[in-house]
Amino acid sequence: MTIVDLRKGDRFVVTGVELTRETGKRLADMGFTRGTEGQVIRKALFGDPLQVSILGYQVTIRKSEAAGVTVEPLVSA
Amino acid sequence: MTPLRIALAGNPNSGKTTLFNRLTGSHQKVGNYAGVTVDTKEGQLVHRGRDIILYDLPGTYSLTAYSLDEIIARDFVLDEKPDLVINVLDATNLERNLFLGLQFQELGIPMVAALNIIDQAEAMGLRIDHKQLSRLFRIPIVRTVGPKGLGLEELLDAALETADNPGSAPAPLYGAELEAALGKIVAVLNTDEAFSSNFPSRWMALKLLEKDTDARKKLESHQNETQVMRVLSEGIAALERSGGRDSEILVSEARYGLIHGAAKETVLRDRTAVPLTERIDAVLINRFLGLPIFLAVLWAIFQATFTLGAYPQEWLDSLFKALGDGARSFIAPGLLQSLLVDGILGGVGSVLSFIPLVILLFLFISFLEDTGYMSRAAFVMDKFLHIFGLHGQSFLPMMLGFGCSVPAIMAARTLKSTKDRIVTVLVTPFMSCGAKLPVEVLLAGTFFSVNSGAVVLSIYLIGVLLALGSSWVFRKTVLKGETTPFVMELPPYRLPTLKAVAWHVWEKSFQYFKKAGTVILAASILLWAIVTFPQSPPDTPPEEAMGHSLAGWTGRALEPLVKPLGFDWKVAIATVTGFAAKETVVSTLGVLYKVSGGEDDQPLREALRSDPVFNPLVAYTFMLFTLILAPCFAAQATIRAELGTRWLVFYVIFSVVLSWSLCFGVYQLGSVLRIGV
Repeated sequence: MTIVDLRKGDRFVVTGVELTRETGKRLADMGFTRGTEGQVIRKALFGDPLQVSILGYQVTIRKSEAAGVTVEPLVSA
Repeated sequence: MTPLRIALAGNPNSGKTTLFNRLTGSHQKVGNYAGVTVDTKEGQLVHRGRDIILYDLPGTYSLTAYSLDEIIARDFVLDEKPDLVINVLDATNLERNLFLGLQFQELGIPMVAALNIIDQAEAMGLRIDHKQLSRLFRIPIVRTVGPKGLGLEELLDAALETADNPGSAPAPLYGAELEAALGKIVAVLNTDEAFSSNFPSRWMALKLLEKDTDARKKLESHQNETQVMRVLSEGIAALERSGGRDSEILVSEARYGLIHGAAKETVLRDRTAVPLTERIDAVLINRFLGLPIFLAVLWAIFQATFTLGAYPQEWLDSLFKALGDGARSFIAPGLLQSLLVDGILGGVGSVLSFIPLVILLFLFISFLEDTGYMSRAAFVMDKFLHIFGLHGQSFLPMMLGFGCSVPAIMAARTLKSTKDRIVTVLVTPFMSCGAKLPVEVLLAGTFFSVNSGAVVLSIYLIGVLLALGSSWVFRKTVLKGETTPFVMELPPYRLPTLKAVAWHVWEKSFQYFKKAGTVILAASILLWAIVTFPQSPPDTPPEEAMGHSLAGWTGRALEPLVKPLGFDWKVAIATVTGFAAKETVVSTLGVLYKVSGGEDDQPLREALRSDPVFNPLVAYTFMLFTLILAPCFAAQATIRAELGTRWLVFYVIFSVVLSWSLCFGVYQLGSVLRIGV
């Protein structure tokens, strides 16, 4: 499962980044590393790009990038 | 005692610039470092009797070789070898900020950290044990609030003390496996003493494990390069086998692993209320409201700019007219009077009267930028811009392009990827800049009196469409390749301080002032000279004198080239002088028609209207030509500075071919269909 499969408001924990070198590294450097928790805050018109909350800050990623971040959904308490 | 050299580093939006301005006051200048096109600011201050030079490094999230800013920041530490780095940490966003801090520690430079905007963090319900954090990372950490100037004395105290006691504690260690690989690589790297004194071995080893292209290139100067490469590939293989992921990702994970551990120990979060930023975003970038709101903001900016700007513009206009009249009555008629009044005052004056428009536009944009709305606009616009191969963040330079291309092209630096930056720089001049407006206003007002507004608007729209279209073409041809990530922070909304906005407006407008003061002044004098020389006998009729002048000669030489577009030699000259600055197209026409018409007070519009060469079709083609043809020299120089000579040459050829063929099509089609003739 990747971030793209999540809906607005869903929480997740990152399990890996499967992207080409530069994009993968940049996402990792921005906090998308194994074990980090985050939440899909909203999607723009046509579902692209997405706003994601991670490490307590807000970041935008495109659908194509979100599709490379594998996650496990978290059931919100 | 030599001054202490301190580099200020930090994430974008960490409040680094505010801190820099607070610490250095007005004692700062923009410096340029060898081989670097991006300006690095430096400032001076004195603390406890010690002279300090503070260098403001570009704000970055990491220190990879993927973006220019990041390479500049790390090369500054490697090449300039400052005594110390002050790392500004946004306390509301500690973990990601520590990620950059760790990388500066890896460079082996003494460090002091400023736990900045601590007041906001506490208001958000974050409690940070900075003493424990300081112990874990083995660096002094001082709590600061940049905008209020809190904690700055203590920060400088800590900096002095750390700088005076070198041999500071080493950076924290990563996991066992990574450290094992690092140890082996460091050992081989150390076999070349000259190399390892230039590049700290631990840092070099980490960068090599991250498959950093720049570090790899530096390694070529190592005595035992092949040996290092062998140990490196063994290390990478071992790491990837056990980690199951690429080694560059594993290194990032190791850093974040350390940081997450430290944060768990030192940060207490009690998140209860939905932050104000999220409540604002729920409306402003709502899935359906986002775009209409953005378009409304855009419309409001332009409305306000042109309505409010009209007043000071008029004042400046009459001021320059008064100055001209004054000069005329004080200085005897002759060459000097002609140079001052027609050449300098006429040329520079017509440019300066557009400064209010440019400043107002920059004021609104800077304000929105400082609040944090501009990155939301990029979020809203990205899907649309991406279709044409642009980036959400391309939008800001393009907006600024409506004011002046020079700061607009520079603003493209915020784009992380080289290709995005190149495309954005290349299409920005298509945005009809403030200098092209007088040309459009003059021609539209003269030949389309009823709907001149719509005509000018259509030129603006064509500019935007050409920008999008060319970007699409560039992306399919010269700038092919995978799309680059749109990983962009949406910083919390902040109410900008008046000072900060004023500073940003000044920085952007200054580029425009400089242009008016130098390039356009020179262009005005040159223009005056080619129209005046070689001089004919005093009793020669003006038309004839004009024909003998250098300008007349140039215009006639170029006439065959522009004839298929419906232009004559006067338009040719105006276009050539337009290269110096687009505003001078108007003043050139003024000079040309005044000279050839011989009547001092005949308004330019009437002169144009009575010229058989001109009709609405020619006027419209001329507007298009002015819009698309390569921008002024100042903008060209900026493109060259940002992208290099090759791209400038490419761009100039592209725009000449595009403008000529498009105008040829418009004029010929219009002539055949008898539209506007």
